Amino acid sequence: MAQAERYGYTVARLRAMGHRLLDPGVFQRMLDAEDLQGALKVLNETCYASWLVEMKSEGAFDEAIEAELRYVYREIEQFVPDKALVTLCKMPYDFHNIKVLLKSSFLQKAGGNRRWDLLTQLGNYAPEFLIESLESEDYRLLPFGLRSAIPHCLAQWEQVHDILEIERQLDDLLFTQMTALAQTLDQKGAVEWVMGRIDAENIRNLLRLRRTQVETSKVAGFLHGGGIISVERLLALLGEPLESWGRLLAYTDLTGALSGLQEVSDFDTLIVEVEKALDEYVLRVVEDARFSSTAPENVLFYLWSKEMEAKNVRIILVGKASGADRDVLRGLLRHVNG
Amino acid sequence: MDQVVTTLLTTMSEQLGAMIAVLGAGIAAGFAGSGSAIGIAIADEAASGIMTEDPGKFGLALLLLALPGTQGIYGLLAAFFAILKVGLLGGAAVKVTIWQGIGIFGSLMPIAIACYYSAIAQGKASAGAILLISKRPEEIGKAVILPAMVETYAVLALLLSIILMNSIKL
Repeated sequence: MAQAERYGYTVARLRAMGHRLLDPGVFQRMLDAEDLQGALKVLNETCYASWLVEMKSEGAFDEAIEAELRYVYREIEQFVPDKALVTLCKMPYDFHNIKVLLKSSFLQKAGGNRRWDLLTQLGNYAPEFLIESLESEDYRLLPFGLRSAIPHCLAQWEQVHDILEIERQLDDLLFTQMTALAQTLDQKGAVEWVMGRIDAENIRNLLRLRRTQVETSKVAGFLHGGGIISVERLLALLGEPLESWGRLLAYTDLTGALSGLQEVSDFDTLIVEVEKALDEYVLRVVEDARFSSTAPENVLFYLWSKEMEAKNVRIILVGKASGADRDVLRGLLRHVNG
Repeated sequence: MDQVVTTLLTTMSEQLGAMIAVLGAGIAAGFAGSGSAIGIAIADEAASGIMTEDPGKFGLALLLLALPGTQGIYGLLAAFFAILKVGLLGGAAVKVTIWQGIGIFGSLMPIAIACYYSAIAQGKASAGAILLISKRPEEIGKAVILPAMVETYAVLALLLSIILMNSIKL
């Protein structure tokens, strides 16, 4: 079946679903609310209402946000012709769960408590399945190359007890698997989106490592291949002043995201600004799909917009719960465009 | 045996012109209708998508869905002209030579080809316009005009087919 016929319905439905995304007015009203209760009251007028009812306490808003995301993923999975597009977006959650389980297992061995409360239901595989696989040490059915990666991580932990190294290896595997999955789809936009995510993650890592002044020789291990910008090129940035990063990467679309590097002097503020710009950069990679009535990338665009919306809601609610300044919170909000 | 063959060939040569014209009429109506069906199906996908979320958009979507259907009507109209011209729809019997038949067949080609492709293109344009009204229903006027631009070329093809057909004297 031609692409036009396959995605005509999907794109139209996603466009109509765009109305459900929270608009800047709702975020503004949530910001203007006196406290967490006020912000939740505003949120109760939106598509999150059905999940807020099930909330056990005011502080359990994370569950409501996760429930809404899960509902959207499940709904889109039902009508999208290539389910792999949804799998692609959910894959980082599977890796998050694996990291949580591995860390819990290490903590438990050291006499600590398991942190299964940090597991998410948003992944492609239920946390219960992952728990069972890890506890029974039966990794045969684990997806995304985890079958061989987990025994390797466990062996590594026994030898060096370096959690950062394990995280690095799992992240590397995540991006390799995402790239491989995107390539099987035969959709240029999906591959570019994954490349954009790799670039964003690399820049994020590079900034954090620069802040902690990690040795240049160790930085390469934390950068992932497969992005638009090569690892060599990224490593070359380390020797340059932050202000010139945008200019040096002017041949990529990242230059807009890095423009903030010239304006902020404080490193912490800078990292926050760049993280926000990088999230928006990932959205921009597939933004052109909005002008097509048949482009499969619209699925990625919508799901990433929904993720940004959920992030905004979480930022506001966490901020309100901790009494953060509304202008600071406003500065942290991502642009959501349905 | 020779006499049978001779009779058969004579009958064929007498009717071949009309049959070639009928073949042209069939192709014109068939291709234009197929194009319309494909075009409407493309727009239909988009309409179903937005109506799943907002059934209230049915009225607006219907207007845009109907646009690629006009090519099928043009094809049928041209086919009627052709079979009317060769006298197959009643009236006095008309003798059509092979060359006249080929001429009528050729005159129907603009409508067959242009309507087939323009209907599919209009279906895609309508699907885009349906997405437009899903976000901005108040822009229905503009949303109708955009795919209607594609219609121009189907109308021109119909015009040319009629002029060409009328230029063939029987």
